Amino acid sequence: MATALAWIVLVVPLISGVVLAGWPKEPPHAVTRVLGVGSILVAFILSAVVFAGLVGNAADDRSFVSSAFEWISIGGVKVDLAILVDPLSVMMMLIITGVGFLIHLYSVEYMEHDPDYRRFFACMNLFVFAMLLLVLAANFFFLIVGWAFVGLASYLLIGFWYQRPAAVAAAKKAFVINVIGDVGLVLGAFLILRTLGTLDYGEAFARAPEVGAQSGTALAICLLLFVGAAAKSAQVPLHTWLPDAMEGPTPVSALIHAATMVTAGVYLIVRCHAFFDISWLAGDIVAFVGAITLLLAATVALQQVDIKRVLAWSTVSQVGYMVMAVGLGAYASGMFMLMAHAFYKAALFLAAGIIIHALGDEQSLDRMGGLRKPLRVAFFGMAAGCLAIAGIPGFAGFFAKDDVLSSALTYGGFGVFCWVVGVVGAFLTALYMFRLLFRAFFGPEPAGGYNPRPHPSRWWMAVPVVILGILSIVGGWLQVPFGWRELDTWLAPVLGTGAEIVEPTHGAEVITIIVSVVAALGGIALAWWLFGADPDRRLRLARVAAGPRRVMDDAWEFDRAYDDLFVEPGRDVADVMATKVEPAGPQGLITGTVAVMRGAARVVSASQSGMVRAYAFWMVLGISLAGIIIALVVAGAS
Amino acid sequence: MPWVTILILIPLVTSLVLALVPARERRMGRGIALAGSLLALAASIVVLALFDRDLAVLQQVDHLDWIPTVGVSWDVGVDGISIWLVLLTTVIFTLGTVAACQRLPQQRGTAFLSLIMLAEAGLLGLFTAGDLILFYVFWEFMLIPFALLIWNWGGSDRRSAGLIFVAYTMVGSLLMLVAIVATGIIAMDHTGQLSFLMRDLTGVPYGEATATLLLAGFLLAFAIKIPLWPFHGWLPRVYSQAPIVVTILLAAVMSKAGVYGLLRVGVPLFPEGVGNLIIPVAILALVGIIYGSLLAWRAPTMRLLVGYSSVAHLGFIVLGIIVIDRMAAQGAVLQMVNHGIVAAAAFVVVMIIARGTGTEDIDRLGGLAKGAPRLAVAFLFVTMAALALPGSNAFVGEFFILGGVFDQYAWMAVIAMLGVIYAAVYMLRMYQTTMNGPPRGVQDQGRAAEMTGRDAIILVPLILMMVWIALWPGSLVTPTRASTDLAVAPAQIALERPVDQIGVLPDRAAAVPAAAVGSRAPERQP
Repeated sequence: MATALAWIVLVVPLISGVVLAGWPKEPPHAVTRVLGVGSILVAFILSAVVFAGLVGNAADDRSFVSSAFEWISIGGVKVDLAILVDPLSVMMMLIITGVGFLIHLYSVEYMEHDPDYRRFFACMNLFVFAMLLLVLAANFFFLIVGWAFVGLASYLLIGFWYQRPAAVAAAKKAFVINVIGDVGLVLGAFLILRTLGTLDYGEAFARAPEVGAQSGTALAICLLLFVGAAAKSAQVPLHTWLPDAMEGPTPVSALIHAATMVTAGVYLIVRCHAFFDISWLAGDIVAFVGAITLLLAATVALQQVDIKRVLAWSTVSQVGYMVMAVGLGAYASGMFMLMAHAFYKAALFLAAGIIIHALGDEQSLDRMGGLRKPLRVAFFGMAAGCLAIAGIPGFAGFFAKDDVLSSALTYGGFGVFCWVVGVVGAFLTALYMFRLLFRAFFGPEPAGGYNPRPHPSRWWMAVPVVILGILSIVGGWLQVPFGWRELDTWLAPVLGTGAEIVEPTHGAEVITIIVSVVAALGGIALAWWLFGADPDRRLRLARVAAGPRRVMDDAWEFDRAYDDLFVEPGRDVADVMATKVEPAGPQGLITGTVAVMRGAARVVSASQSGMVRAYAFWMVLGISLAGIIIALVVAGAS
Repeated sequence: MPWVTILILIPLVTSLVLALVPARERRMGRGIALAGSLLALAASIVVLALFDRDLAVLQQVDHLDWIPTVGVSWDVGVDGISIWLVLLTTVIFTLGTVAACQRLPQQRGTAFLSLIMLAEAGLLGLFTAGDLILFYVFWEFMLIPFALLIWNWGGSDRRSAGLIFVAYTMVGSLLMLVAIVATGIIAMDHTGQLSFLMRDLTGVPYGEATATLLLAGFLLAFAIKIPLWPFHGWLPRVYSQAPIVVTILLAAVMSKAGVYGLLRVGVPLFPEGVGNLIIPVAILALVGIIYGSLLAWRAPTMRLLVGYSSVAHLGFIVLGIIVIDRMAAQGAVLQMVNHGIVAAAAFVVVMIIARGTGTEDIDRLGGLAKGAPRLAVAFLFVTMAALALPGSNAFVGEFFILGGVFDQYAWMAVIAMLGVIYAAVYMLRMYQTTMNGPPRGVQDQGRAAEMTGRDAIILVPLILMMVWIALWPGSLVTPTRASTDLAVAPAQIALERPVDQIGVLPDRAAAVPAAAVGSRAPERQP
């Protein structure tokens, strides 16, 4: 029952996407809306039914595998087209279809005036399908397929406005970096296949200990999988595509590049925790990368002027928290933060979208200010999101971030380092988010005012923002310190109760709450002092620490370094190959061969009759003789 | 009914009939060519229907002693390795004939069609030959129609391209003929008779040194045909000078001759020699993957880009065969079919764009998607298959090839992965530069390049085949399993690979041919 419904959830967005794509001409908007948005609503409702069904079952009876057919059997390895329905995948289904539905609804109005209305919804539906395939797959093969399909959908939607060179370049960058991630994931799957002889989740995870605890193979498997995770989840050093991905329409940024796809790496690690459990070194490396990412991205977010780029770097940073958490073995905390982040980051992006829409595609903070009154809904969504992401008690981000940080503190040793980084990150998060809030919604209007006046959105866009704003508050009440830990309980059947699972102690929670709330309030206060109380202050301080700020503004020069290290040398090598090696080597081989043959032909034709038949006869005879001689020599020798 | 012989005779007879049709009777010529290619397609479907997937050896064998004194015979049949290549040939040639009929050359159009049918007969003969001499005859035979097609109807540099094509490939083939004659004579000691039947020659213990030498003789011919780096020099000239329909046929079907020969003839006949050649051949394949990718990235025209990408893609297939692994070999067989379909589709896209815009230069085009949205979708599909996006048909083959390679030599798979990354770079370069960005080099936003109904007749079947294989690759792989296992098993035994990796036990591998063929059971010495 649960699996049958899950299959329907999986295929409904695919069917609607294909129908939309195959519609002979641009269909009426009403048709596009019903198919494009309705399908996701259906998927969400059915996901909720699946969830309810699992809740009704006993805790140890919530995992089902359903195989459609034997997809391929090759070289002794069998791969089924199969899905796995368990607490983890159902949780992801609810997030994908729930947040996905709200963002689809929002897009109805946001994309209204775009001539490619149908193409947008077809791609968005394809994305939802791909993401569902990613989380529902029951083996590594279809995980990789879903993994790549979300990359394709992301590529298509980043490059949605395909006549803009910047969008086309951003799409390519995202695609290529994701292919690098795919390669890591595929190699990880190969190593699992080579070691355990299977690509099936069930068997691979059950037999993971056979790989050998703390062995080099276990480490290699984890790190290869993490290459895939890092590319998808925009972790250093594979993070550079995500800020550029903001070239896509804002709902795309909200759904794909904030709420769902970029958290796939976190899901992957949690799903494959059986391997990470047997390699503490891999886990620590993952956590270290997450910590570096969260700090680095937060510093870059401080400097961005483009409102969407602030949010993009914030996403990189927030996913860094999740990756750090799962690296330390706090899987449930990471998933908790994944869910909370989906709510508040979607709220933030959609609120930003209202601003962009109202101001006629204006994205620069320099051209914003005083929007609190004309755009009340956006202000609500943005304020709720900011309070949540900053970790103000009562809001979702508070519970999630404190769960992550207190787990890190409990982990001890290396975890303490992560905890310190996380607290610094919390301060920076509050600072850059409230910078955005104060600059966009407070202070005076930009010089010259708005032309035309910003118009409030209709209900299509307002309702999702309000709902997500509310979820940014109540979404965190699943796990309350000293109270209850609903999500831990829900995920326990998947994660097991091994010693590797980190659960925060009460002492750690108390320390974390006090320190992180102080850090967040400090960040907000500083933001108010810099940007809110006196809007001219930041202009007066423009020259302070200009050097470091320029480096941060250039995102720590990663793009330039990659150009210098990989792209340019690669192009030079290819050019040398094309202009020097190819003419001299392979082409020279031909020219030489043909010249020799021509010369030989001339010599022969001088002495022979010149008749074609005679040539053929002598040729065959000569070759046969050569063959016989070689044969005799070889036979004699052996 | 001797269906396999009929299958070869249909295009041959069609070709002869077409040669007799006067050049001005273009309508009649078209009709005959289409009928001939469709008949061949039908015959190949009959062969497929009669195919027994559990049989590893050559089946539906038509045997006729030709020159018994020197052991030459007409011996054709199909097995799991060739069955899909036969289908690929008839399908692609049917589509190619349709494409040729849509835009028949003004000069001697019927002769053009006649030569295409002749080429089909040659390729079908090659893929079904069970006798080494026959294999060689078809190997050389198919050169002639292709060379004439290039020579007469090619681009501005067609004469030189045609000459190079013949001369260069023939050099390789001559060495193969030497090796074939030597093989037959050396094997006489063992089998007691002069025979060139592949099933008689299987299992002959040549000794390592001899087997290596003989295999090397075959390899040069295969390497030039595949083409394996650095023997690919003919490819850019021929692919860019041939009429585009001929380029489609060359890339989709003829390029499989070399890899087919390697798996069907080289590896099973000379298992003792394989061990010495794994590393050298694999290195050439790896260099070809990276080198082909780099040149594709910098290629000035779409045709050259797809052509060089073929060098890289065939490098993957060679790698899959030469590492001697069941999974990799089955992946390689699947990938031969995949590459045929995808390369054909890619060149069809090039054909459509070049026709609409008058140029194949990548950097002179841009923004066609606006005026040609249907083409953009089809092109995107082909691009994703060509870069082997997971979920595409090409990925299935690539995944299991590299999975098998990783099992045997992990470092090779890791290096080959560079080609996977480069494929994304160069294919997206071709797609994005021509389709996206502001319109360039075209009027009316590129509406002239839009895919018409006539183009769709050719392109849509190819796309449907890609979708089919992507959705259910098992349907293709399962019938190939028995033959592929049998082809690599002797080499696996010679290499002393673990028993659980070997699909067919040696005694069965030796016993089955005699029982299954029924005629001319080889008299093996103990």
